[in-house]
Amino acid sequence: MDITLFLQQFLNGLSIGSIYAIFALGYTLVYSILGIINLAHGAIFTLGAYFTYALMGGSFGFNGLLANAALPIKLPFAIALILGSTLAGLIGVVMERVAFQPLRRQGSDPLLTVVSSLGVAVVIVNLIQYLVGAESYTYPADTYGNLPPSINFGTQEKEIPIRTVQIIIFAVSVGIVAIITYFINRTKYGKAMQAIAEDPTTASLLGINSDRFIILTFFISSFLAGLAGTLVASSVSIAGPYFGIAFGLRGLAVIVLGGLGSIPGAVLGGLLIGLVEAFVPAEYSGYKEAVAYGILFIMLLVRPQGLLGRRFIQKV
Amino acid sequence: MNNAIAQTTALLSTCALLLTGCGGGGGSVTNTPTSTTNNTTTNTTQTTTTSGAIPIGIALAQTSNVALLGQEGFVGARIAEKYFNSKGGINGTPIKLVSQDTSGDEAGAINAFQTLINKDKVVGIVGPTLSQQAFSADPIAERAKVPVIGASNTANGIPEIGDYIARVSAPVSKVAPNSLKAALKQNPQIKKVAVFYAQNDAFNKSETEIFQQAVREQGLELVTVQKFQTTDTDFQAQATNAINLKPDLVIISGLAADGGNLVRQLRELGYKGIIIGGNGLNTPNVLSVCKALCDGVLIAQAYSPEYPGEINKVFRQAYIEQYKKEPAQFTGQSFTAVQVYVEALKKLDKKSKISTLPLDKLRTELNKEILSGEYDTPLGKIGFTPVGDVVQSEFYVAQIKMDKDGNTGKFVFIK
Repeated sequence: MDITLFLQQFLNGLSIGSIYAIFALGYTLVYSILGIINLAHGAIFTLGAYFTYALMGGSFGFNGLLANAALPIKLPFAIALILGSTLAGLIGVVMERVAFQPLRRQGSDPLLTVVSSLGVAVVIVNLIQYLVGAESYTYPADTYGNLPPSINFGTQEKEIPIRTVQIIIFAVSVGIVAIITYFINRTKYGKAMQAIAEDPTTASLLGINSDRFIILTFFISSFLAGLAGTLVASSVSIAGPYFGIAFGLRGLAVIVLGGLGSIPGAVLGGLLIGLVEAFVPAEYSGYKEAVAYGILFIMLLVRPQGLLGRRFIQKV
Repeated sequence: MNNAIAQTTALLSTCALLLTGCGGGGGSVTNTPTSTTNNTTTNTTQTTTTSGAIPIGIALAQTSNVALLGQEGFVGARIAEKYFNSKGGINGTPIKLVSQDTSGDEAGAINAFQTLINKDKVVGIVGPTLSQQAFSADPIAERAKVPVIGASNTANGIPEIGDYIARVSAPVSKVAPNSLKAALKQNPQIKKVAVFYAQNDAFNKSETEIFQQAVREQGLELVTVQKFQTTDTDFQAQATNAINLKPDLVIISGLAADGGNLVRQLRELGYKGIIIGGNGLNTPNVLSVCKALCDGVLIAQAYSPEYPGEINKVFRQAYIEQYKKEPAQFTGQSFTAVQVYVEALKKLDKKSKISTLPLDKLRTELNKEILSGEYDTPLGKIGFTPVGDVVQSEFYVAQIKMDKDGNTGKFVFIK
């Protein structure tokens, strides 16, 4: 592989990997606090994309029950992105109250909560299809203003074109990861969340309201999913109600590779899987997912706790 | 397990099933237990006769990522039902479409076929949506001796599944090479060709082989073959791999969402040559994916809204009145499939009153009438080979022309 192609695929891998990273951050946050995998995370990813689409265009699209239903406002992309992701975050809170909290109060097995989250995912995906149909929706051409569609990082002879949207996605992802890392490690709320993750009972004795922080965790997690969904949709299109399913599975692989519950692990895992997929040779390009998951299997055999995860120690 | 957990799980499951049933314009969901092959086979000995409206099964995808294509077919069938019933149906007896959602997988198609054959007791079936599904579901109908007309199955080998399997969707081998010829006419300097195809779909694999064969026959150089999945959205690695080889032509075999995204990313990364889309991109739904960047994509067609036949004018007008846009190929083909049933039933009814025929006899006789008839349809004049493949003379190539706003566009047919 010549250096031009190497650089090209490296940049491609970084851009897609950065999206995997912020998507997986949401998974990791919920896992850290509750010890469960929220399988509805992919569906929230899809919802975020649709919310932003509706807020930008002032309409829910042209199919389903809401066909041509108009909103009183049309917002610029940046504001729609924040509002759409916030709405996704609020849906996450509702989901927690309806599907997770009752089970938690019963002290039920985490596996049942996982099944419950799967049910929520199916309901959301089908509800989307019922309300806005199965069609793909694409954000307006001027979503990012008048920026050129791609930028050449190479020379005139040896071009390395990168889509502008990918650079924006990468920049936003880096910013989000920095904010989340700061929030978790440096703020009072973040430290309280860490305390709950470490030992919910002791955290309660110290006066931390666990219930409130679980809601906050679900909000942030779903906000990140909605944000990732919107960024991906602005790069490709909303490929129907099932848009987030593949991302949901990929996100699982990312957090396992990075180390369950590890925020730096989610970022590293996301970037690694993105890079691995980008470097799959052309003749095997259709198998890039299989290659990524193959590496995951090997990783689990060699280092079951993931790249940056802590080894589980059972005290006897 | 305590009650709260059981209730929550039951509630969510029930909601999921109900909502699945609501998806996409009225298709119902097959939740009946899967019948065994034996059940299907014994069904042929029933003596149930049709009374009242004559039920024709529609097994198309109303949900899943294939719903985009299935719903187009469903619309065509509904327009045909309304039109032919307004013309007196089958010599005075109306037809009634009974729809079952096949979803996007093989199991869904098999369930839909089983239900239509055993529970709804249809005289014949239009569907399923994908060739991949047809290879699994059509043998069910074949064993039950129920006629099937594929309206969107273009892979090689579909009619050969059995005596009761026919199609009105011309095989990809007849349709696809036309767009390559059109591309060479637009740019005779084309030398290097890059091919992309969705490797997880039987139709797209079949179509790409036809395209690659046509490329070789034209003496062109196949510089790369890139594979993807119909569920993929990010194609930057594949697109840049191909662009680096400086192709003059790109040929894509995929579905609307993935194919449209691939077109978009190729264009944004700077590819300026001609793009040919396969049959999966042959839907106005692709326009909303790549928008302004769809402009110029060439797609071979088995149907043209501009075909001057009388029945096509009626069909086109009915469609435009309802949807304010031109009908897609799959819509035209599913209208045609229902038309074939109607005309074959009419002929059969004149020979022996179909209301007096036992269901199994009716299905067998209907199959013979379908294969022996000639039909003037929106696709032009068609007939069937003895094995059940469509005989069609008119094929077209369309080029996507996007409007200035970049949001709307149409398929403009190249003379």
